[in-house]
Amino acid sequence: MSSNCRANPYLPKPVTIEKITIENEARDLKTFRLAFCNGDDKKGFKYECGQFAMLSIPGAGESPIGIASSPMDEEYLEFTVKCYSTGVVTTALHNLEEGTRIGVRGPYGNSFPLKEMEGKNVLIVGGGFAFTTLRSTIRYMLIKKNRTRFKNITVIYGARSPGELIYKPELKEWEERDGIEMYVTVDRGDANWKGREGFVPSVLQEVAPSSENAIVLVCGPPIMLKFTMLPLLDLGFSPDKIITSLERRMSCGIGKCGRCNVGTMYVCKDGPILNYKQIQELSEGIF
Amino acid sequence: MLQRLIKKEDLKKLIASVKKEGAFYGPIRGSEGLSLSELNPDDEVAFAYSNFKLPLKRQFFPWSEEICTYEAESMTDVPPSEEKVVIFGVRPCDAFSLLYLDKIFLDEKFIDPYYRGRRDNSIIISLACREPLKTCFCTSVGVNPAGKEGADILAFEVKDSLIFEACSEKGKEFMETNSAIFKKPGEADIKARDEEVSAAEKRVQAIDLSGITEKLQGCFDSPIWEEIAQRCLGCGVCTYSCPTCHCFGLYDEKVGLKGRRIKVQDSCLFPSFTLEASGHNPRGSDEERMRQRIMHKFRYTVESFEDIFCVGCGRCIINCPVNMDIREALAEVIK
Repeated sequence: MSSNCRANPYLPKPVTIEKITIENEARDLKTFRLAFCNGDDKKGFKYECGQFAMLSIPGAGESPIGIASSPMDEEYLEFTVKCYSTGVVTTALHNLEEGTRIGVRGPYGNSFPLKEMEGKNVLIVGGGFAFTTLRSTIRYMLIKKNRTRFKNITVIYGARSPGELIYKPELKEWEERDGIEMYVTVDRGDANWKGREGFVPSVLQEVAPSSENAIVLVCGPPIMLKFTMLPLLDLGFSPDKIITSLERRMSCGIGKCGRCNVGTMYVCKDGPILNYKQIQELSEGIF
Repeated sequence: MLQRLIKKEDLKKLIASVKKEGAFYGPIRGSEGLSLSELNPDDEVAFAYSNFKLPLKRQFFPWSEEICTYEAESMTDVPPSEEKVVIFGVRPCDAFSLLYLDKIFLDEKFIDPYYRGRRDNSIIISLACREPLKTCFCTSVGVNPAGKEGADILAFEVKDSLIFEACSEKGKEFMETNSAIFKKPGEADIKARDEEVSAAEKRVQAIDLSGITEKLQGCFDSPIWEEIAQRCLGCGVCTYSCPTCHCFGLYDEKVGLKGRRIKVQDSCLFPSFTLEASGHNPRGSDEERMRQRIMHKFRYTVESFEDIFCVGCGRCIINCPVNMDIREALAEVIK
């Protein structure tokens, strides 16, 4: 056995919070930009779009969070975290300042099927703050040397209100550039909102992107997922071309602690990325 | 196959030999009854017991253990134990359970270093069952009261002696190292042993589990779960006393700037097990949790590993405060 097998998989690697960005009006969504303290840890952390990691705060505990940066962002990792008043780790994390040292373990789980997406039209449907790993994927695909590998990229992204849209500067940048078609919507606009209004599933029906040679990545709150599946099927997407990401409470992230077990699957190691066909085959309801 | 005989009174010599470089755990009767405890040569080793109240898993997967410590922002690794341990007197069902735990904790992609450290440094001498309890159903789940699975040495009681039979290289080496304490068993001893073994096997009250996995595949949404779970208090004692239940959580304990992260056994029967920070609980009801426990052991592990994760020790039946009986629940499923 290699010495690596003896390494403690529960021990987080030290990282420094380089930058904290408040993402929304409610101020309960923050993006943490982290940099590894040790070069070897940085080199060892090779991830793909859709994977997650455990963020670790001594004294508070750990929380599984999707990686919001792209594998092409070599100098840092980013995680967008929602603070819940009942969430011990997310609350502790939101109280930290730039410069604080925390821990990261990972990357864990499987990833979006980027190989399969090559040569295809890619539709991205996101809702609320579940947009994080989708943002990672968009950033990855839009890099000049990657862009030609994918055909049309269409993004439908919605939030409750204009103030709740995350990654605003990036959304603007994407709206203005070529190579990506953006449909940003809010459930209800305000006095200053000049954009689209309407729930994600209805905007999806309006935009009606073709399912021809296409694959769709969809992430959002359970209620949005539930009401997005039917329009996607109506558009002609087969269940195995509808890709989503699951969430479950986790402790270990490495398929041992049993918390995220659903049927024969452990969301942490067999997921979190599943297609709709796989979800339909699971006995326990997901959304 | 290496077979050797040791007088029960000579166990003290074996304990003394083991203690030179490690610890010897065995059965002893104390103020709280029978327990598996660290023994000294002078301790009186207990015999004539059915089984330990607590499962063997806690020797390898303790109720709680440190996985790292921290001071302010810096975290430090806690290395796994390297203590050499010999465990004597556990029953074959408990030894068998280690093979199931191995599949989880020694899964090659991520190995649990603490479990592995203890497994690598331990020798299991299981003691064949003579008096199975009314709650035992090991033979229904592929376990034999004189089975060798998971043991390094299988021991048999024959009057005032024990016959040791090596079941692994590690066990054989151990017997060879201590060869001076053993002698060769006579033919009469072997015959007496064989008679005991077959009598014990016949005394186990088998249950019919044929087709259980297929039945479970078809009854996910059945009303039986509500019925089965109705009596359950959700105390989780069945999961803690189960030799194969392996769910855990990682928790932080901190005083001032110093603290530690511990791995603590947890139970899928607790609502908090799957409760998310948002307040959403994907397994919010008693019946969903009861279904998960039974499905996990008798269906999901069969689909993943081709094994029922139950060794039929009956501890969940004995320890349940409201007399729930997994055999009845399984019969309900099969019906």
